Amino acid sequence: MAHDFNSVRAALVKSRGGLLPQAHVVATGVGYKVTRGVKTDALSIVCSVTEKVALDRLPLRDRVPPDIDGIPTDVVATGVIRAFQSRTARHRPAPGGVSIGHRNITAGTLGCLVKREGQVFVLSNNHVLANSNDALRGDAILQPGPHDGGRFPDDHIADLHDFVPITFQEPPSECRFAGGLVAVLNAGCWMIGSKTRYRSVNIQAAENRVDAAIARPLEPALVKSEILEIGTISGLGSGILGTAIKKSGRTTGLTTGEIMQVDVTVNVQYGPGQLAQFTDQLLAGPMSQGGDSGSAVLDNSNRLIGLLFAGSENSTIINRIEHVFSELRLTL
Amino acid sequence: MKRAVAAVLALLISWTGSAAERGMPPTIQEVKARHAPRFLALPGVVSVGIGRDADGHGVIVVGLDRARPETQSSLPAKLEGYAVRVEIIGAVRAQ
Repeated sequence: MAHDFNSVRAALVKSRGGLLPQAHVVATGVGYKVTRGVKTDALSIVCSVTEKVALDRLPLRDRVPPDIDGIPTDVVATGVIRAFQSRTARHRPAPGGVSIGHRNITAGTLGCLVKREGQVFVLSNNHVLANSNDALRGDAILQPGPHDGGRFPDDHIADLHDFVPITFQEPPSECRFAGGLVAVLNAGCWMIGSKTRYRSVNIQAAENRVDAAIARPLEPALVKSEILEIGTISGLGSGILGTAIKKSGRTTGLTTGEIMQVDVTVNVQYGPGQLAQFTDQLLAGPMSQGGDSGSAVLDNSNRLIGLLFAGSENSTIINRIEHVFSELRLTL
Repeated sequence: MKRAVAAVLALLISWTGSAAERGMPPTIQEVKARHAPRFLALPGVVSVGIGRDADGHGVIVVGLDRARPETQSSLPAKLEGYAVRVEIIGAVRAQ
């Protein structure tokens, strides 16, 4: 016999006070009963449980009765229900994937924990932790970042420890020594009949490989190695064309993508008139927005393969983790 | 003296010379590296990288900030044997 919605709801309201205290029950509601995997048209009182346990192993008081006031019950395993953790909130210990930033910036993402000489550090971008070169070692790092309400000293979580300076674009080389040397080399080429010619360029303009920085937690217990919605890092990997990837970031949370281009040379805007060229980058489809900078990028085996730092409407730009680790002398 | 200098320079040049001068077919990485600065100097070009076509062959991918008919028409369809593909990816910003 099918019951109407109102009578089922009335029975639920009456009985839920007794159901919820039972071991394993995490939620109650009204829904269609599912029998042997098939939805029936009978309304029932649905009890969501952390796990299904055989009736004979449950004490009587923890058994969900087969019916309540003649209305069938249904037991569904949903697992533990957790509150959505806001990534822009204050977290202690702070996992990877939450808001962080130098006290003079807006906000970026705490990537993950790394080690240098046995000590634990937080990894993110230079433009997140070191204000795009405009910072000093020891500057306060806030979690959440200032844009998300982080204030000094209450939300002070770490101190800037080291960063790889970003070289912003400058005009072509006007170095007279380089010009002279090039002239000599080209004369040599002409003398031996080679068609090769040398040209002086300002190589600084093309030498960025990473936008990376590390900060030292004020205490190790303020941070944790887990990354929100990803878990723990299993090791180091290397991005190649077609690798499926994921990241966990402050703004767009957990997103996935694929490496579409490697060996990418790209011009990145850092603000009005501030442009920096990066080489040997990984490019994925759109999987990030402002505030996701600093996110750790992992493959499907949870190997760390990159550090997200920039993007456009149709792309996400990622530093290779190999370069990040070698330039900052890091280990996992 | 002049001979000695020429010999030293010859050694230096042959050592630093490109794979092409040594008679080997250039790799896509070499071709991309050689032409990327020239492409990045064109109006609207924001990136040059290596991708794959539908058949899995390596292609040189040039990224534009928006539709740029003039730049697009000045880019070759092929470069030293490798296909060149143009994609509008938008202006790239630090996030």
